[in-house]
Amino acid sequence: MITLVRLLKKKLRSGRGSKHNEQVKSDQDHSPVNLSGKLEDDLEIIRAVLGPSNDVVIREMKISSGPKVDAAVIFIDGLVDRDLLSDDILKPLMFNLQLIRDKAEENHSGLLDFVKSSVLTVGQIVAVNDIDRIISGVMSGNAAILAEGATQALVIDIKGWETRSIESPTNEISIRGPRDSFTETLRINTALLRRKIRDPHLTFEHIQIGQRSETDVVVAYIKGITADNIIEEIKQRLQQIDTDAILDAGYIEQFIEDGPTSFFPTVGNSERPDVVAARMLEGRAAILVDGSPMALTVPFIFIEAFQNPDDYYARPFFASLVRLIRFFGFMLSIYLPGVFVAFKAFNQELFPTPLLVTVAAARDGLPFPVAIEALLMLILFEILREAGLRMPRSLGQAVSIVGALVIGQAAVSAGLVGAPMVIVLAGTAIASFLVVPLADLGALYRLLMTIAAGFLGLFGIVIISLEILSHLAALRSLGVPYLSPAIPLNYAGLKDTLIRVPLWAMDYRPVFLDPVDKRRQAPDQMPRAWKSKHKKRKSQ
Amino acid sequence: MKRLKHCKIYLAILLTIIALFLSGCWDSRELDKLSIVSGLGWDIEPDTGEVTLTYQSIIPGEIASSAGNGGGGGGQKGGEPLRTIQLDSDTGSSPYDVLSRYTQHGSRIPFYQHTQVYVFGWDGAEHGIYGFLDTQARNPVARPNVLMVVSEKKASDILGVQDGMESIQAVGMADIIKLSAAFSKYPAITLLEFQNRIMSKTTAPIAPVIGIFEETGVEGEKIKKIRINGTAVFKGDKMIGKLNERQSSGLLWAIDKVEKGYIDIPEASLEIVKAKSRMVPELRDGSIIITIEIDEESNLLEYKGHQDMNPDLISKMEKAQAEEIESQVKAAVQKSFSLNADVFGFGEAVHRKYKKEWKALEPKWDDIYPYLEVAVKVKTHVNEIGDVNKALMKD
Repeated sequence: MITLVRLLKKKLRSGRGSKHNEQVKSDQDHSPVNLSGKLEDDLEIIRAVLGPSNDVVIREMKISSGPKVDAAVIFIDGLVDRDLLSDDILKPLMFNLQLIRDKAEENHSGLLDFVKSSVLTVGQIVAVNDIDRIISGVMSGNAAILAEGATQALVIDIKGWETRSIESPTNEISIRGPRDSFTETLRINTALLRRKIRDPHLTFEHIQIGQRSETDVVVAYIKGITADNIIEEIKQRLQQIDTDAILDAGYIEQFIEDGPTSFFPTVGNSERPDVVAARMLEGRAAILVDGSPMALTVPFIFIEAFQNPDDYYARPFFASLVRLIRFFGFMLSIYLPGVFVAFKAFNQELFPTPLLVTVAAARDGLPFPVAIEALLMLILFEILREAGLRMPRSLGQAVSIVGALVIGQAAVSAGLVGAPMVIVLAGTAIASFLVVPLADLGALYRLLMTIAAGFLGLFGIVIISLEILSHLAALRSLGVPYLSPAIPLNYAGLKDTLIRVPLWAMDYRPVFLDPVDKRRQAPDQMPRAWKSKHKKRKSQ
Repeated sequence: MKRLKHCKIYLAILLTIIALFLSGCWDSRELDKLSIVSGLGWDIEPDTGEVTLTYQSIIPGEIASSAGNGGGGGGQKGGEPLRTIQLDSDTGSSPYDVLSRYTQHGSRIPFYQHTQVYVFGWDGAEHGIYGFLDTQARNPVARPNVLMVVSEKKASDILGVQDGMESIQAVGMADIIKLSAAFSKYPAITLLEFQNRIMSKTTAPIAPVIGIFEETGVEGEKIKKIRINGTAVFKGDKMIGKLNERQSSGLLWAIDKVEKGYIDIPEASLEIVKAKSRMVPELRDGSIIITIEIDEESNLLEYKGHQDMNPDLISKMEKAQAEEIESQVKAAVQKSFSLNADVFGFGEAVHRKYKKEWKALEPKWDDIYPYLEVAVKVKTHVNEIGDVNKALMKD
């Protein structure tokens, strides 16, 4: 956009069109284009830059009763708060004509300073003389006031567009936890975090990314907890992004992640402020992106996928059981179809005899080899899942009916698929939703396992498993080993993995995140049974 | 440079895929191309030496339909027995000659990994089963935990008897043997144990003997059933005789295979709760004395007299029990002497204790064995006498 302004200025001021090579040249020219003080000229440049869009409003007016002082208010309709605009900008300017006239006679050039300090009743006003900054201010929802003879413009923050209110989370459900979730507005999201953590060390560092979208991105962290090198690395990676537009946090994720070729995610995300706050308190950093209701958190390690806010809000015993179940379910969702295929096509001796007979009975007379059967069902399931997700909500029921009938009933009774395969698939499908962050990679590995089992049996499954394990052992997220705290082993870190110990037993923040302030709480806070200070009177 | 790196990645992916497809689904066997053999029978025509193998294969579809109908297991339904198993027989000069004939009528590859029992016909067992043992020892997929059974008739006769409870006959047969072993009636001998016994040069292999008997059903029809009738004793790979019920129990006492079961003495019935036995050989003045020490604990189940319980009575019962056990063991020992087959593994016990002397003893063990001195020492203890102390009825 800077280039565009410079180009137009040249074009308008010289009255001649520029050539292509001039444009290239002007790219290297970084001197800002300032206001000339002539309202006509300046408005012409601004008009040319903003183009004919009908949401751009340039309101010209006279703001003094005496010597004519021309002024213009520029804003984008829909991005500014109309009430604020009329009550706090237009009204004071037009009702104080006498006051402004007095000032204008006294000192013409200091007029806007006077307006800023004594007329406008808005909180945040910046005086700017660079046209680029004026325009970008207008584009992000501010109003700009230009006046004849003034080489500065006032950029007034009256942002106010329609936003979604804070709603309860739709993807990360919690039974006991708070019910608020992030929205698309960055300011609301930072406020949500600020309300969880009042510590002034909670820092929001602003970076603008995207040449055309100019998206506001905030790196959030708690100074004094998150390791400095993690923050530095994130900021460096963010600054290196040079792209057109950032439409969602997912764009950022793909530009900064550690394992771009890995199936496993190395950047976490959450729509829950409490989850993000908890992760920051452990020593992670969050990345909030304007326009995205998801916050990214880094570093992200494997075990985080199995941690759920309810694990911490509920008492530890059931939480630990659920952790184990989640882990088991994840394993099941990856291995079950593959192992079933391997057992059926290669390693029949591993079935107990009665089970083999049952399975063999269901297998009798089926037309496809078992590997093909499994792949068909898996792909059919992915189709159904995707259809259920994308289908207009009113049609969802039709999909589920057809899906249940086709997969469950008809395929078996038509003799195309064995009933045990349907059970295996159903178990896999349900298990795959236990660990949502890893659900999509589960689908990929499930297919891989099934194909490997179809070719090589259990041997193939072992090969793929070793591949996954060695890959995971090598993977890192911002320098943190992905399998921490298991590999490398850290006993204190294991307190929050397959089991979750009580909160009073977790005195330290995770060591693998290398937090600056390592201690989370005072030691020995295990609640003790209440003892009366007065000794009980002995009964006779 | 970058392009080269990409080329390498593509090449690696390509090679992986090619490797997968070239190897193909090696060793893949679809379940519906397999015939799951539940029991294998082995008969030999004594005159010609021709081998007959009988495969009892599972028909999975029939079992599923019987289970689906709530039948819970084959048996008869409307007088029509369900065909849950199928018998196929082939005859040839050697086991693999027989196997090669299977392909003339079989549509599915026999799958032996789930075989429950190996059944040997009486004539075949007397003729010698070395051919079978050798094929099993060489075959890497052969399961060592398959039970060995000797049939009173032909193996194919036993494998064809479908009786009520179990849908797969061989599974039922294996369960009968395991149950009788659990109650210390007859030994359950796996292929592995059989092989171990045959590889020791002195110990005689054993296997339970199963016979067929007929029962009259509710509607007067004849129902064939199978039952264990004794313990076959082998000398080498040839069967030479049979222990009866009492001798079989004695054998189990001596080789420490008694875990639980019942014991009957004239005045009471008792339940064995704990039993342990030890074989102690001793070389004394050139003669070999084997002492079998047995410790037994039991609970009283039934008292046939009318006296109230008292310590004298209990010690009397303990003594009677010890005598009963001793007489069972003695019976087994007598029978094994008359067969001249070391079913107890006395030779191995001597070998373990007297390694130097054994070298001289081993070649002439057959001559020594019938003249061994066997002493039986039994200690018994009655733990519990049940809920009543006094007799219900006095005489």
